[in-house]
Amino acid sequence: MSLTSEERIRDLEQIFYPTSVAVLGATKIPGTVPFDIFYNILKDGFQGTIFPVSPNAKSIAGVRAYKYVLDVPDPVDLAIIVFQSSVVHLALEQCGQKGIKAAIIISAGFKEVGGAGLEREQQMKEIADKYGISFIGPNCLGVINTDPSSHLNASFARKMPQEGSIGFLSQSGALCTAVLDYAQAKHIGFSKFVSFGNKADISDIDLMSYLRDDPKTKVILVYLEEISDGRAFMNAARDIITRAGKPVLVIKSGRTKEGAAAAASHTGSLAGSDEVTDAALSQAGVIRCTTIEEMFNIAIALAYQPIPRGKRIAIVTNAGGPGVLATDAAIANNLVLAQFSDETREIFKKSLPSTANIKNPVDVIGDARADRYRVALASALKDPAVDGTLVILTPQSMTDIDNIAEEVANVADQYDKPLYASFMGEADVASGISILQRRSIPHYILPESMCRAYAGSLFFKKQRTAPPDPPRRFDNIHPAEAARIIGEAASAGRRYLREEEAIGILKAYGLPVLPFGVATSSDEAQRMAKQVGFPVVMKVSSEDIVHKFDVGGVLVGIRDTQQASEGFDRIMAACKRANPGAMIRGVYVQKMVTGGEEVILGVKRDPSFGPVIMFGLGGIFVEIFKDVRFRIAPVGPDNAAEMIREIRAFRMLAGARGKARRDVSSIEECIQRLSALALDCPQIAELDINPLIVRDEGQGSFVADARILLHH
Amino acid sequence: MQKAEIQQRVEKVVAQVLKVDPKDLKPESNFAFDLGADSMSSVALVAAFEEEFDVEMEEDRAREVQTVGEAVEFIAQYLPKN
Repeated sequence: MSLTSEERIRDLEQIFYPTSVAVLGATKIPGTVPFDIFYNILKDGFQGTIFPVSPNAKSIAGVRAYKYVLDVPDPVDLAIIVFQSSVVHLALEQCGQKGIKAAIIISAGFKEVGGAGLEREQQMKEIADKYGISFIGPNCLGVINTDPSSHLNASFARKMPQEGSIGFLSQSGALCTAVLDYAQAKHIGFSKFVSFGNKADISDIDLMSYLRDDPKTKVILVYLEEISDGRAFMNAARDIITRAGKPVLVIKSGRTKEGAAAAASHTGSLAGSDEVTDAALSQAGVIRCTTIEEMFNIAIALAYQPIPRGKRIAIVTNAGGPGVLATDAAIANNLVLAQFSDETREIFKKSLPSTANIKNPVDVIGDARADRYRVALASALKDPAVDGTLVILTPQSMTDIDNIAEEVANVADQYDKPLYASFMGEADVASGISILQRRSIPHYILPESMCRAYAGSLFFKKQRTAPPDPPRRFDNIHPAEAARIIGEAASAGRRYLREEEAIGILKAYGLPVLPFGVATSSDEAQRMAKQVGFPVVMKVSSEDIVHKFDVGGVLVGIRDTQQASEGFDRIMAACKRANPGAMIRGVYVQKMVTGGEEVILGVKRDPSFGPVIMFGLGGIFVEIFKDVRFRIAPVGPDNAAEMIREIRAFRMLAGARGKARRDVSSIEECIQRLSALALDCPQIAELDINPLIVRDEGQGSFVADARILLHH
Repeated sequence: MQKAEIQQRVEKVVAQVLKVDPKDLKPESNFAFDLGADSMSSVALVAAFEEEFDVEMEEDRAREVQTVGEAVEFIAQYLPKN
């Protein structure tokens, strides 16, 4: 029986704050996981009671051991299982009999090894379900809670990290130890630190939800190798960011191209799993990082300093070159240099040497000591035109590095605005950096990383306050008609829908399709062309002919009935010549639209995130530059508008170089209708509208061609 | 060889290798869970069985044997039946 989310939270509370812990499978041999886990709990000052459970040891590290957990005379809140995988189920069964509801299973040799391991994991899950046990793991490093009221180091990490406000969750155990070592060197503390391994029971999402409500955690970091349920992950992340106001940073490794390689459409080939993950995480408001260093650079800014109100920054430096570097990096990260108020400029004039640059970046000159930095930083932070300040130091012979570091921290404490620092160099600045780190001033080796961290914090600020973007409800759509067309094709065993079927489905969802028909004779072609209105496009309708243009199966710009009649005969003759065995159903006749900009819209169903909507400019922009954007459906009006404006070539639509502005709002509507279609019709695996022809503003857009591929 | 004799000799080997009291051994005793065998002592146990019974056992299958009773059955397969 599955647990409710309240029961899960209760069990997670027992994992992080147990009053008694039993280590099942502990041994007396230092340097082995079963000993080190037990010993770490003991030596790192766990505030509760600990019971080693060992088949053949009377005591471990001086603590009386029990043969079975059932022999422990007192209640046990948390079981930590370190037995070899083949007997973990026996240990878990006894935990159930003992009434233990929470466990951490460290042992490896389960799903990750396949075969029998997979069966063992399933068996373990069944036992856990039978007794209502929640467990973390298997195949993990363990759990650390630095909160002094618990102080639990139930892991085989070398050291317990210092207390802090960052919660770290990792699918990789080995990465955890590297992160702990990295963090220790930079004086970065953690609130909770969890290696969740195979997540056979408690998932990354459960843990994120726990940290959402954990008062000790301000920032949540997650390292993932796979996102099992993309939509649930997005919802959980969005909830944490908007409701709890806590930032979520994710590293998602394993950037595979497999999914894209097997695709049959433009959208399919462009929407590889990594591109989709990128779009989904950004849409959920998550800051996606590519390296551990980048993740911590942004995390410390968010954890240590106030969230910036805006993008206007002041740069205070004692060196011109680094000031310019920082300026470039700021601009590259969409930040702006603040324009100081007259009052601030006056203070700079009075307090700084005449050679100092009192414009932004403020150059306090190479011989600046702590007093000069103090005045410059305090004045900048006080200025209402400044949202945040970045301070740079290079070590000259007279630079009193440690004093400056102390002053930077003192000034930061006095203002509710962010202050980040970059003390450039290594050996001479080391003690100053250490002061900054200990006093919670985010420090960066390079000004570029400092600007990226500021931009990351700003992204979070925007996401935290972003209003919801619920999808529009469309009244004039006909889901039953789309379902009928899909049902007919599916029952006939066709995966690729015919032109008229694809167009029919889009029409059912109110997408602007052009009048069309399929002619089976030259007379019918004349009539149809007249009916849809000249000029028309004519195209052979046959599933056996894939490259229609190459065999002479497509004619454009047909202007009268005579050309329509001749066109029919020419297409039929050319196709029969090129492919005598092809089953030809006739010639597809469609109204032709001239002028306008060609864009591409598409759908792809991602195994983890579900339907993904793609937008880009057509032609070379999609083929060569891959200038496309993705959103996970449902796509609301704000996201539809944003994704169009995010492409690099948006100016082509916005009226660049004297061209008229195109009807962008009609694309926004198409995207939203396509999103509704994608959600309603799970049978659609891939869909391309290529091109959608966008006319000038106010004149709408038209679907010129579409392909739909159903699932097997 | 009779099962009873195999069992007695298996228990003797297990008691020696895992340093447990022979009185604590039952057919259902699990080497790892009840007797505290780890991967090293499991290898030692297989070697000791081979020496005791003068047989050569298949390593992969031997590794799947988890209890004293299973060991008796497993070893019996390698011995001539009376």
